[in-house]
Amino acid sequence: MFKKVLVANRGEIAVRIIRTCREMEIQTVAVYSDADKYALHVLEAHEAVHIGPSEPSGSYLNPERIVEAARKSGAEALHPGYGFLAENGEFAALVESAGISFVGPPSAVIRNLGDKTKARKIMQAAGVPVIPGTMEAMTDVDTLCGEADRMGFPVLVKAAAGGGGKGMRTVQGPEDMREACIAAISEARKAFGNGAVYLEKHLLNPRHIEFQVLADHHGHVVHLFERECSIQRRHQKIIEETPSPVLTPALRESMAKAAVSAAAAAGYVNAGTVEFLFEPPDRFYFLEVNTRLQVEHPVTEMITGLDLVRHQMEIAAGSPLPFAQGDLVKRGHALECRIYAEDPTDRFFPCPGPILLYREPRGPGIRVDGGIYQGFEVPVEYDPILSKVITWAEDRKAAVNRMLGALRRYPILGIRTTVPFLMDVVQSDPFIKGETHTGFIEEHFPNWSPPEKMHHVAAIAYAAGKSTGAARTRPAWTEKEIPATPWQALGQWTL
Amino acid sequence: MRYQLDIEGEAISLDFSPVEGENTADVSVDGVKHRVRFQTVPEGRLHLVIDGKAVEAFLVAVENGKQIFVDGHTFLVREAGNRSSKRPGRRSADEIPEEVTPPMPSVVVRILVKAGDHVRRGQGLVVVSAMKMETTLVAPHDGRVAGIRTAIDARVAPGDILVDIEKEVSENE
Repeated sequence: MFKKVLVANRGEIAVRIIRTCREMEIQTVAVYSDADKYALHVLEAHEAVHIGPSEPSGSYLNPERIVEAARKSGAEALHPGYGFLAENGEFAALVESAGISFVGPPSAVIRNLGDKTKARKIMQAAGVPVIPGTMEAMTDVDTLCGEADRMGFPVLVKAAAGGGGKGMRTVQGPEDMREACIAAISEARKAFGNGAVYLEKHLLNPRHIEFQVLADHHGHVVHLFERECSIQRRHQKIIEETPSPVLTPALRESMAKAAVSAAAAAGYVNAGTVEFLFEPPDRFYFLEVNTRLQVEHPVTEMITGLDLVRHQMEIAAGSPLPFAQGDLVKRGHALECRIYAEDPTDRFFPCPGPILLYREPRGPGIRVDGGIYQGFEVPVEYDPILSKVITWAEDRKAAVNRMLGALRRYPILGIRTTVPFLMDVVQSDPFIKGETHTGFIEEHFPNWSPPEKMHHVAAIAYAAGKSTGAARTRPAWTEKEIPATPWQALGQWTL
Repeated sequence: MRYQLDIEGEAISLDFSPVEGENTADVSVDGVKHRVRFQTVPEGRLHLVIDGKAVEAFLVAVENGKQIFVDGHTFLVREAGNRSSKRPGRRSADEIPEEVTPPMPSVVVRILVKAGDHVRRGQGLVVVSAMKMETTLVAPHDGRVAGIRTAIDARVAPGDILVDIEKEVSENE
């Protein structure tokens, strides 16, 4: 096993990877930008290397600086997390050529699958059903408009190098096509360094169902069941669960089989996710393969009892999978809510700023993967994800109730978060009935505003607080610099 | 104690009369009476029992009021006369703000018009980006672009007016 690993990411995922590495007695190296000098991943790693300015292109999206940090710190492997350079084949190739193990699939596989149009061709050849659309990617807006006219609206403009909803636009008619293409291309160029987009037929209200796969260097591929991620806003998943409320054992079996063939056809190695769009009652189409750890991987960990990061490390180090498909079982139901720094009372605008009060919910079956702490200033430069709340229980109803209780006990003050919105979604009738689809939020929560009945309680709390002097005041240091924590003051050491 | 409060843009009047020692009060909120017991816990926590029902609240002081967390919900509570233009009341998704200003701290990525252009209400003027999310700021009314007060890559904040739109007197009116 590796002695030292560099984690080329920030936020909750960097923290989560560092924690498993520590359990495996692997030394960790964090990287950070100017804005992240006091970020949680920096505080939890054994070492931290400054790699550049706050602007992501100079730091977390800068392959040379990251590989240089890995080389200088003596890391034998590099874990890319998700986002940033995680699905960048050139970056993986650069890491490989530096003699460092990339914790993910080989660069050639990332390139093939990261090119969404090439991936569609591979899947078509392997007999996996794909969504109707164009097979070539481009940045030529005139040609894209012409193709869309031929296909018929609505269409989806998608970044060929994309993922996570960046560089993606749904277009209802020809009058919006031009600006949508320009915006998608610009966003894609910024997020992935490649602006090419392609078109897919926009399916009406499908479900998003994906399968987690693990593949080793010795030709073994297994799946770890599905995750349903239909609840999305702005093409970003916000609530995920497993098992899917809609899959029968027979459907699960046939989709899992397609997922394993898809991974095998692509020559996949390490942890990956095969995403499908599902049209009830039983049709499914290949969407894409995510060649990395997913944001929503914890729900799979909860029902299988496996630590995916640990298996990623073992696979990267050359170990064969310690189990066969028949050894894998799932138990109970798990749910994840992503907590974003967005203001649900003001059109979900991003809401960076200082965290003045922070307390995570605790209790049986509750897990919080977070990248923030009280006193941390959430930077304007990065993705608004702050943390994820994951709950596990014997069945779906109990997992949903546990989630609701956890969100009620999760104060994050100083900024605004999506917590109240998520609570309304998970306690809504259609969600409880499992009637989820990718248009769920637009259909049921088009112009969400918080319930007004709580205003009186807030008023009472204000007056009572005033009479007792309760309320945390903004600590003076958040104005300027955060003082060194005892851990930083002490420096690095190993017991 | 009498309070005129602004909670997320909603006006609420409240009467707070301490009774039977310092941890209990009779509270009237917009005319609705409650018996409230309260106890502070360190670190901004407040334990309330409102008409026999226990509630946990968390409070922090912010610029001109308090941010209060109750049962998963967060509220900005201000005393009337203490309102700032920085946080207007709740706005629906299709309402157009009166000024061309970013809704959050952000960076200008594209400018879609130039001085002298005639624009229609709702037309896109400037695209800003924050936390990787692009937002198009639109014209509040029909008119002529009198001036552009920003540039690409500029860091902008709520309250900064990025584009001036002059109303034109229509000959038909």
